Amino acid sequence: MRVPFEWLKEFIDIKESPHDVAHRLTMIGLEVEAVEQVGSDDVVFEVNVTPNRPDCLSIIGIARELSASYKTPVVFPEHDVLAETGELDFNVDIVDAELCHRYAGRVVRNLKIGHSPEWLRKRLEKCSIRSINNIVDVTNYVLLELGHPLHAFDLKTIKGCRIIVGTPNRVKGQGTRIKFRTLDNIEREIPEESLLIWDAERPIAIAGVMGGMETEVSDSTVDIFIESAYFDPVSVRRTSKALGLKTESSYRFERGTDIKMLKKALDRAAYLMKEVAGGTICGKIDIYPKRYKPDEINVRYNKVNETLGLKLTKEEIADCLDGLGFEMKKSVNSLKIKPPAYRRDIKREIDVIEEVARIYGYDRIPAQLPKATIGIDSQWSGVKSQELKIKNNIKESFLKSGFTEVINYSFMGLQDIDLLGINGDDERRNLVQIKNPLKTEDSFMRTTLIPSFIKNLVQNLSHGNRELRLFEIARVFISSQLSVASSQLPIEREHLAAIYYKEKGKALYRDDTPDFYIVKGVIEAILNNLRIYDYSFVRSSEPFLHPGQSADIFIGSQLPVASRQSVKTGYVGALSPAIVDSLDIKAHKPSVIVMEIDIDSIIPYAMQVVKYRPLPRYPYIERDTAIVVDSLLEAEMLMKWLKSYPSDLIEDTYIFDVYQGKNIPEGKKSIAFNVRYRASDRTLKDDEIDALHKSLVDYILDKTKGQLRT
Amino acid sequence: MSYMEDPKQTFLEELKSVKNLADLANIKVKYLGKKGIITSELKSLSKVPPEERPLYGKKINEIKQFIETELDLQESRLKQEELKKQLLSESLDITLNGKFIPFGKEHPINKVLSEVTDIFVKMGFSVEEGPEVELDYYNFEALNIPKDHPARDMQDTFYISDDIVLRTHTSPVQVRVMEKRKPPVRFIAPGKVYRCDADITHTPMFHQVEGLMVDRGITFSNLKGVLVAFLHQMFGADTPVRFRPSFFPFTEPSAEVDIGCILCNGTGCRVCKGSGWLEILGAGMVNPRVFEHVGYDPEEYSGFAFGMGIERIAMLKYSIDDIRLFFENDIRFLRQF
Repeated sequence: MRVPFEWLKEFIDIKESPHDVAHRLTMIGLEVEAVEQVGSDDVVFEVNVTPNRPDCLSIIGIARELSASYKTPVVFPEHDVLAETGELDFNVDIVDAELCHRYAGRVVRNLKIGHSPEWLRKRLEKCSIRSINNIVDVTNYVLLELGHPLHAFDLKTIKGCRIIVGTPNRVKGQGTRIKFRTLDNIEREIPEESLLIWDAERPIAIAGVMGGMETEVSDSTVDIFIESAYFDPVSVRRTSKALGLKTESSYRFERGTDIKMLKKALDRAAYLMKEVAGGTICGKIDIYPKRYKPDEINVRYNKVNETLGLKLTKEEIADCLDGLGFEMKKSVNSLKIKPPAYRRDIKREIDVIEEVARIYGYDRIPAQLPKATIGIDSQWSGVKSQELKIKNNIKESFLKSGFTEVINYSFMGLQDIDLLGINGDDERRNLVQIKNPLKTEDSFMRTTLIPSFIKNLVQNLSHGNRELRLFEIARVFISSQLSVASSQLPIEREHLAAIYYKEKGKALYRDDTPDFYIVKGVIEAILNNLRIYDYSFVRSSEPFLHPGQSADIFIGSQLPVASRQSVKTGYVGALSPAIVDSLDIKAHKPSVIVMEIDIDSIIPYAMQVVKYRPLPRYPYIERDTAIVVDSLLEAEMLMKWLKSYPSDLIEDTYIFDVYQGKNIPEGKKSIAFNVRYRASDRTLKDDEIDALHKSLVDYILDKTKGQLRT
Repeated sequence: MSYMEDPKQTFLEELKSVKNLADLANIKVKYLGKKGIITSELKSLSKVPPEERPLYGKKINEIKQFIETELDLQESRLKQEELKKQLLSESLDITLNGKFIPFGKEHPINKVLSEVTDIFVKMGFSVEEGPEVELDYYNFEALNIPKDHPARDMQDTFYISDDIVLRTHTSPVQVRVMEKRKPPVRFIAPGKVYRCDADITHTPMFHQVEGLMVDRGITFSNLKGVLVAFLHQMFGADTPVRFRPSFFPFTEPSAEVDIGCILCNGTGCRVCKGSGWLEILGAGMVNPRVFEHVGYDPEEYSGFAFGMGIERIAMLKYSIDDIRLFFENDIRFLRQF
């Protein structure tokens, strides 16, 4: 809302500077967002009026607020129609009184349509309203001044001296389809619930939103009919939304106008029209079927103080409210209040308490820390929940492993999931669709974080980065199967995903560890840090991963069941070369490792309590052995067999070398492993362990169908 | 039997020509080995006439000791030389870079989010979460924002269906928590929120922290106390804070909370649009209508709620002028924090 300072001063005698007045307005809840110098002699306030205060969408409204704050009276603009001639042989019929509580109108004859005088044009311009002609300008002027929307019809275009206010449903019967050309020259289909103004034959305006083309005031207009009415806010809002048509009128009607002001507005407009366009003011009509009756609100003095944390006296409280136009009756413990018609936001005691605080001044209320109950309930202990701790732990681990955190939008497009080759049965196809996305490629909520990472990769590599380590913790959204019922919320799961890329060749220090193992290592380190040891990596069949360099991750008792994606915790692997090739990346055949884990599914395994184990008291004996086995034998199989050997003297085993090449037959590989033996109750003897180790090696050779490497 | 000639002179000559530990070992064997000159001489001591034996024995032992000392000396000299050589050969260019993977960086939004969270956790607030895809009921209705109310225009909403939206604020968590728990409650709810809006100051997704405290006897004055304490912790103890009336359907009285502009110290600049103040928080006393939705008796309990946008705080803190940078995830940007 734009408020020219000189206009404002017409209604209230202010001595303060514009800057001080702007500050005063801000501090009573009418935030002045900007003070704009207009010409050499005026400033305009840009006032941010909150939706609950439609009464402040006018110069007089702002003046009223200043009056309550400065305790200075408001001067109301001249609106007395001194002379009116003739009867109004108009018949107004309100069919839907629920939607139109009051309808008034007045005829002005023999007007000279033309340009508005400069003072009028200037004021409209300051408020960013374009001058059209003196009649339309006056209706807009009164709208700005008093906050009440008016509409002027060309009288001779209204057929049958009749006005009907009603919806197409009520006026023309159920299911009537109405097409109507509004004065912006657009033909609109009118919803049957929308309130219209009709003459004897047809609709002539969309109530509270916009008038019609055919009844518009034009250069040839001589007589006019001015409408000033109160329309139901919800009805106007629905119509405005349905038509996608927002006007200065609809903006005010949908917030609520002053039903008592409308007659004054009507007279003020007639008075001004006579001034600027000549003419004679004729009689008026005023149908008021639904009278405004404010409820009496009981405001307890102690409730005011209890809410605000103040110790105001009865007089101080009444004094704050004085000037807000309330009818007040004082009693011993409370005030009985009736708000004026323009304050429909005041309905309850708390609304009045807010008024006290506002006028008293928020800055005068002391800041005091509460005397709070200290919680002993673990849910309210003031520490982050265990879950948040685990998430933080994971995040810290990634940061320390050199991964930088990203935050991507939660959106993706169909093409993203198509690119990954995720098929129809996969739950990542159970998409949550946004009805009104900003872009079609952002129409769905992510079911996997990988598409975002692919974009991050392409974008960052285009800037010449030689390596990239990124991770994100964010939710994915899986539409629940039952979501046909539109009130079924999707399943939200917290995912952790990461991407790793490093340019080959250029490195000061050689490290030829395949990238896959680097990322797998990070995952294992994190799992171990959470004291999760019971996990397995199983060759993955994710369609977007390199089949030879990818693994699904299973934790705890989760069994690798290929057909059931949902039991797995996540995956890690090289992005399929087919996908990488399709990306706009300069690097030649880059290896890009991605991983994604469902954090929610690992949290239960991470919550274990730590229990101390005594340190071993006797020394260990180690043996190393290399065996030659089929090159397809996976390390995990060998580890499993080593673990399955029945001896409680085996403390630990690990693979320390895998070799293929010279001296090893084609199709075979050499695996070297170390076994550490220890007894908890004695020192082991070498010959005892020689025998045990030989037996273990025989067992392994039998299982692996391998041979001892010589 | 002939007496041995004193071998010291020869020994010393030989010792001079020693170049390494191996040569030294050879000499040691020659003189002190099992069949060495000195050892042999000592063995054949029995052949010396008894009356000469003590004197001669003493002499041989002296020679032996002399040789041993010399050998030891030479050995440690040689060892030191070899160590010197080894150290020299193993010397590195210590000015080359060490091998390391630089630590990753936390996203600036989450950095600020943790900062905010930590302050409230210290004040005894717990941390709660709620769904990002939310029922219209929790996002609007229960917060006193009915359908067909102009207050809905305050937030441009993404719709999934007529009843489901992407939450436009973290406030629905208030309702969800109060539905489950009896007062007193004191928590914050950080999280992502969505609005269909995109320009230099708006992104369709951003982050908020919601806070709620409900107990007996909580006042507007307490709201001010807690928020001033928070803002002083966050921006410095002498940061000016002001509260001014505003409107949120789910609080009443409602307040907008400003801090003195941290960029111009309140003298007025581009960021604060010349006002010297920066809007930082929305807050208010919980509207009794919200209590009615969750079954709290507004006559018995009162409370306050507040909410803040994390992007805005981060932008102020790091002087970032384009909000979209947070979500482009350019590592040249992310590595700066």
